[in-house]
Amino acid sequence: MPTKLSDNQLNRVYSGLEKQRLTDPSVKLDDANLINVLAAVADTWLKSETKVRAQILAAPTREAKLAIVKNGLSSAEIKDIKKILDEGTVPMSDSAKAFLSEAVGRPFTPPPPPPPPTNGSLKITGDQKVGLSGFAKAGESIEAINLSTSPTGRYHLDDTTEIGKAGADGSFSGKFTGQLNPTREGDILRVRTRDATGKTGDWVTMRAHGISAVDSSNAELAIFRVGVSDAGNGKIDVSNLNASRQISEPGALVRFVNTRTGDAKIVVLTDDGNFPDKTQLAGLPGDAFTVAVSDGTNNKNLAATVGKVTVAIPGDGSDGGVDLPDPKLHKDELNTDGTPKYKEARFRGPLFVSNPSPMDVKQGQIGDCYFPSALAALAQADPSVIRDMIVQNEDKTYTVTFKQKNFSTGKYTDVRVNIDGDLWVRPFGGPLYGSAGNSTELDKMELWFPLLEKAYASWKGSYDAIGNGGSSGRVFQDCMGIDSVTNSIYESKPNELYNMAKASIDAKIPASMGTYGEHDSARYTNSGVYGDHSYSVLNYKTENGKQMLQLRNPWGESEPGNDGVNDGIFWIEASKAAKLFQTFYTVKH
Amino acid sequence: MALPPEPLNELLPRSSLIVVAVVVAVLSVGSKPPAPEGAEKLEKGSTSVGQKAAAQKVRLKIERTLKGKATAAEIEVEKPVGAYLLDVGNKGPFFIDDKGVIIGRYGPDTHRAEDIVRALPSK
Repeated sequence: MPTKLSDNQLNRVYSGLEKQRLTDPSVKLDDANLINVLAAVADTWLKSETKVRAQILAAPTREAKLAIVKNGLSSAEIKDIKKILDEGTVPMSDSAKAFLSEAVGRPFTPPPPPPPPTNGSLKITGDQKVGLSGFAKAGESIEAINLSTSPTGRYHLDDTTEIGKAGADGSFSGKFTGQLNPTREGDILRVRTRDATGKTGDWVTMRAHGISAVDSSNAELAIFRVGVSDAGNGKIDVSNLNASRQISEPGALVRFVNTRTGDAKIVVLTDDGNFPDKTQLAGLPGDAFTVAVSDGTNNKNLAATVGKVTVAIPGDGSDGGVDLPDPKLHKDELNTDGTPKYKEARFRGPLFVSNPSPMDVKQGQIGDCYFPSALAALAQADPSVIRDMIVQNEDKTYTVTFKQKNFSTGKYTDVRVNIDGDLWVRPFGGPLYGSAGNSTELDKMELWFPLLEKAYASWKGSYDAIGNGGSSGRVFQDCMGIDSVTNSIYESKPNELYNMAKASIDAKIPASMGTYGEHDSARYTNSGVYGDHSYSVLNYKTENGKQMLQLRNPWGESEPGNDGVNDGIFWIEASKAAKLFQTFYTVKH
Repeated sequence: MALPPEPLNELLPRSSLIVVAVVVAVLSVGSKPPAPEGAEKLEKGSTSVGQKAAAQKVRLKIERTLKGKATAAEIEVEKPVGAYLLDVGNKGPFFIDDKGVIIGRYGPDTHRAEDIVRALPSK
C-alpha cells in the first residue's frame, strides 16, 4: 500500500520511488536519491525546491546540509518524514536513515555490522564447481545445507548433508550429494563444522559460484507455507505456517499484490528465509494476493508469479488459503478465443482412502491413457512409490515429486510440482479429466490420482501437452527414477509376452501394454479391447495349461467378455493378447 | 484416440435410431485420414496418439430395434472417420442419427444393449 504523505512535493518524490520498486525491487532510498527527498521538504515560501536543492548540494559539510533541511521543515513535513521512517515501504540505506532521523530530532543507532564470513575455524576456498573445499580443524566433519533448494524440498534449516572430514592438515573437499545435489550457480549454502563430540561450529553462509556462467535459477518460494489472516483495521497478518522451515532463500524479495486494490508490498526475507516479525499487508477478509519472488538476479521485475493466497472470510465456510496456477485445458476444451469451456472446482477429499490400488484410477476425457494405465500398474506393483510421490502441505496444497533424467549423465534429479485441489469439472460436477473409483464428489473423491495427473500436466506444460498420446514407460521412469524398458510384442511369441509379464510382477515392478492404432484393419471392433490404448498388467496365471494375463482398462470399465463386474479388469490368454497388443512397458530390474 | 466412451445420456438424445445389428457388407471405404499433428514427435509405441480410421459405408442387418423405427430390415449407414473400423460380422448396438450416420466413439462397442434399454425412457 502506498505511504500517504501530506506534503504534495514529498508525496510525489516518495510515491515515485514506490512505483519504481514495483518493477525494480533493488530500488531504495540511499545517498544518491536522498537529495530529492531533502529538497522536497526543505523548500520554503522564499526558496523553491530547485533553489534549496542547489543549496544542499553546495553545503560543504553534513552539518551544514542538515541545518538547511531543518530550517525548511514544517511540522507537517516532520510528521511525513517520521511516517517514512516508521512505515515507509521503500528500504533505506543506514546513512539515509541516519540523516532523516537526525533531521526530525530522533536518535539513530545503526544496526550491528553483519557477521564475518567465517568463524575462524572454518574457511571455504575456491569455487564450487565440483563441490566444497576449504580448511577446518583436523578431524572435524563439514556439513552443509542448500538454502536455495530447501524451501520446497521440505527441509528444516539444520537438515544438513555431510560434505566430508578435515584431514590431519585441516583441509577438506567433498562433492555435493543428498540435499546439496543439485547445487546451482548463485545458490545460498550454509556450512558448519561438527566435532567428534557432536558440537557444531557457527554457520558460514555463502553463495555458490563457479558452477556455471550465469545464475539462472530464481529463488524457490514455498507458497504452501504462506499464511494470511485478518488482523482487523484493514490489515492482513502474513506468517509462515511452519516457521521451522523456510519460505524462500535468505534475502529473497517477495511481492504481494492485492488483486482487489492493486496495492503492492515487497517483503525482504530474513537470514533464515522467513518473513520479518509483524509482516502485514493492507487488505480485508476475502482479498486475494498474487505472490512473486526474486532472488535479486532472476525475475527482477517480479513479473512471474508463483500463485495466489486468499484471506479467509470467517464463518462463510471458505478456507481461504492458497490458489496456485493450474495447467491449461486440452485444446479440445478451449473456446476459439482461448477461454476455457469448463469451470474449476476445489476438491477437498482425502488424498488416500486406503493403500493406493489400481481401482482408484479412472481415465477422464483426455487422450492420456498411457498415464492412468501406468499409475494403476504402479499402484498394483508398489503402492509406496505413489505414497512417497505426493504429500499434502500445511496449507492444504500438495507437492508432487517426479524424477527427471539427465540424458547426458544418466542421473535423475527430483522435480517438485506444487498444486492445489482445483480440478476442471463437467457441468454436472464430476471431474473432466482423471477421477477416482470411490466418488466424484468434492468432499469425498480420493485425490491421489487426479492430482498426480494434474501435477504431470503442470510439469509438462498443460493438459494438452499430456493429452495427445505418450508412453507408459516414460511415466514409470518419471515417477520412479528408473530407466524404462519398452519391448515389442510378437504374435508368434505369446510365451515371451507371458514371461515378460511374469518377470515384472514377480519383481514387484509395474508393467503395462499398448495396443496398435486401428487404422488399417478392424482388429479391435467387437474384441472388447480398444485400439490406440494402454492397459495395466496386474497379474498372471496358468489355468488348464493356458497362460493367462490379467489386464485393466484405465477407464475402470469396458472389458472383453462378461465376468459379472464391469470394472475394466479381465483375464486374457497370452496367445490372444499377443495378437492384440503391440508394446510391453516396464522398468529395468 | 482411446478416450472413454461418451456417457449414454449424451448419446441417447442424439440418436434417432438405436438397433442391435450385424455388418453384412462393407460397401465403400474413404481415404485414410492423415496422421495427427505432433504424432511424429512421440516415442515409438506411444498410445492415445489419435490416429483415426477411414470413413466407411456399410450395410447393417437389424436384429433388434431399441429406439426409433427402421425403414427396412437391412439399412445402409455411414461410419464416419473415427477410432474404429468395421468389418463384415461385427455386431452390437449401433446409435444412428437422423442423417444415417453411426455415432458414438466406438460404434457397436460403445455400450451394451441391456444398459441402453435400462437407460431409455420408459414408454
